[in-house]
Amino acid sequence: MHVLLVFLALPGLAPAALGAQGGASPRTIAIDERLAADAGLRLGDRLSLTATPGVAGDSVVIGAIVRRRADPAEIARGEYRVRLHLTSLQSLLGYGDRVDRFAVATRSSAATGAAIARINDAAFGFRAHRSADIAVETSTTFAVVSRFHRAIGVITIVASAIFLLCIMLLKVEERRRDVAALRLMGISAPTIVRSVVLEAACVAVLGSIAGVGVGGAASWFVNRHYQAVYRTPLRFSLVTGDIVLLAVLLSLGLGIVAGWLAARRLVRTPPLALFGR
Amino acid sequence: MLLTLAAASLFRHRARTLLAVLGVAVSAAMLLDMVMLASGMRESFRSLLLSQGFQLRLAPRGTLPFDTEATIGDAGALVATLRSRGAVQAVSPVLGGQLHVPLADGTTVTGAALGVDPAVQGDYELLDGRQPAGMNEIVANDAMLAAIGRHVGDTVRVAAGYDAQMRSLSGERVVRVTGRVRFIYMAAGQRATALPIDALRAMQGATAADRISLAMVRLTPGADVDRERAAIERLLPRVTVISTAEAIRQVDERLSYFRQLAVILGAVSLVVGFLLVTTLVTVSVNERIGEIAVMRAIGVRRWRVVAQIVLEAGAIMLVAAPLGLALGLVTARYLNSILARFPGLPERIDFFLFQPSAAWTALGLLALCGVLSGIYPSWRSASLPIATTLRQEAVG
Amino acid sequence: MSELAGAPIVEVHDLVREYRMGNETVAALKGVSFTVRQGEYAAIVGPSGCGKSTLLNLIGVIDRPTRGTVSIAGERVDQLGDARATDFRLRRIGFVFQRFYLMPALSARENIELPLAEAGVKKSARRDRAMTLLEYVGLARRERHRPSQLSGGEQQRVAIARALANSPSLLLADEPTGELDARTGAEMIALFARLNGDGTTIVVVTHDEVLARATKRVIHMRDGSIVDHGTAG
Repeated sequence: MHVLLVFLALPGLAPAALGAQGGASPRTIAIDERLAADAGLRLGDRLSLTATPGVAGDSVVIGAIVRRRADPAEIARGEYRVRLHLTSLQSLLGYGDRVDRFAVATRSSAATGAAIARINDAAFGFRAHRSADIAVETSTTFAVVSRFHRAIGVITIVASAIFLLCIMLLKVEERRRDVAALRLMGISAPTIVRSVVLEAACVAVLGSIAGVGVGGAASWFVNRHYQAVYRTPLRFSLVTGDIVLLAVLLSLGLGIVAGWLAARRLVRTPPLALFGR
Repeated sequence: MLLTLAAASLFRHRARTLLAVLGVAVSAAMLLDMVMLASGMRESFRSLLLSQGFQLRLAPRGTLPFDTEATIGDAGALVATLRSRGAVQAVSPVLGGQLHVPLADGTTVTGAALGVDPAVQGDYELLDGRQPAGMNEIVANDAMLAAIGRHVGDTVRVAAGYDAQMRSLSGERVVRVTGRVRFIYMAAGQRATALPIDALRAMQGATAADRISLAMVRLTPGADVDRERAAIERLLPRVTVISTAEAIRQVDERLSYFRQLAVILGAVSLVVGFLLVTTLVTVSVNERIGEIAVMRAIGVRRWRVVAQIVLEAGAIMLVAAPLGLALGLVTARYLNSILARFPGLPERIDFFLFQPSAAWTALGLLALCGVLSGIYPSWRSASLPIATTLRQEAVG
Repeated sequence: MSELAGAPIVEVHDLVREYRMGNETVAALKGVSFTVRQGEYAAIVGPSGCGKSTLLNLIGVIDRPTRGTVSIAGERVDQLGDARATDFRLRRIGFVFQRFYLMPALSARENIELPLAEAGVKKSARRDRAMTLLEYVGLARRERHRPSQLSGGEQQRVAIARALANSPSLLLADEPTGELDARTGAEMIALFARLNGDGTTIVVVTHDEVLARATKRVIHMRDGSIVDHGTAG
C-alpha cells in the first residue's frame, strides 16, 4: 500500500507542478534518475509536491537522485519513483501517524522465526511475514515468465538437435568417396568409424564454441536493448557456465551419434557402390 | 517428369529428408507460435474490451481503470452529461470495492465487489439465475460462491468494510444471491461479486456517495470514437478517457517484451528452417551434379533444372508446414497455459490466439523461405559449366 | 554410306580452346579445322589429353571455343547464348556418354521420354516414340526397368535411344564402349553401324581400336591438333 500511495502522489509531479519554488528550509526528497532525466531535474532543485492536482503543495528540495535496483519487479512499470521522509508523506496524504508496514531486521534466521511468532501472537490486527515468503508471492510473474522461457528453450533445443543431426549426417555423407578409397586401401571398418566419429565430434565442438560466441554476442545485444527499453540495469540474458556446458555437451553428443550412424551406414556399403559404380 | 525427378531426389535419402521435414516442422511450429504470440495478446485484449460493445472508458484523471483506488466524484451529473450526448448510446457506471463475508467458523472471505447498473453493465456475463434488482441482491462468480459455500437463491451476510485492527465489519447487510456470473476482466480464480451501484454506495457509507471508479461508454453505431473521446475529455477535464485503441496501446507497451521475443524467435525459426533446407538441397545438388550436367547436355532447359530444385525445397516446406502448424497449435496451447498463470490476468486473455491470418502468415513466410532456400542451389545447378562438370564426373 | 555422304553437317574452322590453370593458359585445341558430311561415321582417336573430348564438347555445343568457328548443318553454333544452345542440343544433337548417365529415378522408357517431354511432345506421342526406340535397340521388354536393374550394355542402349529421341542431325558419342566388356562393346559397335546404315551421322571419340576400325573415317589427334584427317569411306 505504501508504494501505491507514493504513486498516487505522482499526478502532483506533472510538469505543471514542477518548477522552482521559493520558501525556507524545505524537506528533501529523492527522485529516480528516470524522472530526473525526463523532467530535466537536478540536485538542489526546488519542487512543489502535492497529492492532488491543482492544489498548493509542499515545497521540497531534491536531495538525491537514485538509480533503480536491478529488480525484475520494476520491469514494465513506467511510473516514476519519489522517496520522501515518512513524516512528509504522512502529512502530504493526511495519513496521520499511520504506516502500511514495518520492516524488521533480526539478528539471525532463527531469530526471524521467533520474532514472527511473537509478533503474530501479540499484535492485534497485524501479521508478520518472512521477507522471503513475500518475495515468493510477488515474484509469481517472473516464475511464470521463467517457466515460459524454459518451455521455449526446450522447443529450441529440439529444433537445434534435429538441425545438428541433419547437418552431421550430410557432413559424413560428403565423405563417401574418401571412405570408399580408405576401404579399398584396406583400412578396417572400425578404424573408419572411429575417424569419422572423431571428425564429427571435432566439428560439433568447434561449432558449439562458435555458437557460444554468437550466443554471447546475442546476449549482449539483448541486454543492451532491453536495458534501454525498460531503463533498468537489470540483465535480461546471462550466458552462464552451465548453459555453455549444456550447449557443448548437447552438440557433442548429437555430433557423435550422427557421426556414428552415418559412418556405420557408409562402412556397410560396398566401396564400389560408394564410388557410384 | 519434373515431379518424378524431384520426388526421386527426395526419396533417395529418406532419413535425410525426414530429418529435414522434422526440422522445418519444428521451425514452422515455432514460427506459428510466435506469429500467434505477436498478434494474439493484442487481438485477445481487443476482443475482450469490445466484447460488451463499450468503446470508451472514463477513469479518474491520470489513472487507468482500477489501477488505483481513486474515484470520480459527482458521478450522477457526469453520467447525465454523458447520456445527453448524441453519439452516446449507453453509459455504465462502475464503483469498485471489496465485500467481506464472515463465515460460521469465524473466518472472513474477502472478494472484489463491483457496484453496477445491472441494466447496462458490461463487466460480467450471467451464467445462471438473474440480475440483481433490489438493494439486497448480489450476483457472484464460482470462486466466490465456492469460498462462501453458497448457491443461487441462498442468502448471505456481507460487509463492505473490515477493520483489521478491531477485527470488526462495517456496512453489513444480508443479501440474496440471485445469479451466478463470470466476470470478464477478472483474473482466473479471483473471488468477485456484483451488486447494484446504489447498494454498494450505501454499504460503503459517505465516502462513496455519488462516486464511481469507472464509467464505460457505448457509442452509437458509426460514431467517430476518437473524436468523441477527445470531445468528452475536453468536456470533463477531471477524467481520463481511454479508447479501446489507447488501452491496447498501453497493454502493448507493457507487454512489448513478448512481442519482441515473438519477432526475434520467429525470425530465428525462419532462419533455421531456411538454413536447413538450403543445406540439404545444396548437398543434394552437389551429389547429383553429374546428372544435372547430363540433363543440360541433352537439352533440358536451365529453368527446368532450377524449377526442379525449387520444387524439392518447396516440397520439404509443403510437407513440413501442416505438420508444423499442427505441432504449433499444440505447443501454443501448452505455452498459453503457462502464461495464463500470470497473476491478475483476465481469464479470457489468450497470449496465443489462433487466427486464420496467423496460419496464413506463417505459411506464407514458410513458402517464401522455401523458395529462397532453393535459390542458391538452383543458381549453382543452373550455372554449372557442362563440359567441365562432365569431365570431372567422369574422372571422379 | 560414303556414296550417300552429302552436305557438310559439321564444319570446324581454326578451332582453339584454351583453359586457365592458375596463372598459366593451356591450349587444349590449337587451331583445328575439319568437316564431317551428312551420313558420315567418323571416329576421333588419339592419346589421353590430346583434346578429342574437348573437340566433341565444342561440336556438341556444350562448350564455347576461345577462337574459331563451329557450324552444324549450316548454322554457326560457337557463339550461341545458353538458351539457344540448349534448344539446339535438344533438337539437333544426340549425346552418348561413356558412363551412360541415365537418370536413376526414371525407368528406361521415361529416360527416353525426357528429351521428348522437354521438346514439348505430347504424352502419347512420346510414349510411342520411346517404345519404337526401345524396340530399335532391342529393349522393348525392359521399358519399366530402372537403370540400376539394367546391365551396362542395356544402359548404354537406352542412352543411345535417348540420344535419338528427337531425331537429331548428329549423334556424338564419347567413349561409348569405355565401360563395357568386349562382347557388349561389340554389340554396341554393331548398333552404331546399324544406326549409320539407317542414315544417322555419327562422330565418336574413342580409344577403342575395334570401334575405330568399325567407323568409316578415323581422325587422328595429338597435342590439340589433327595430325590425320582420315579418308571418308
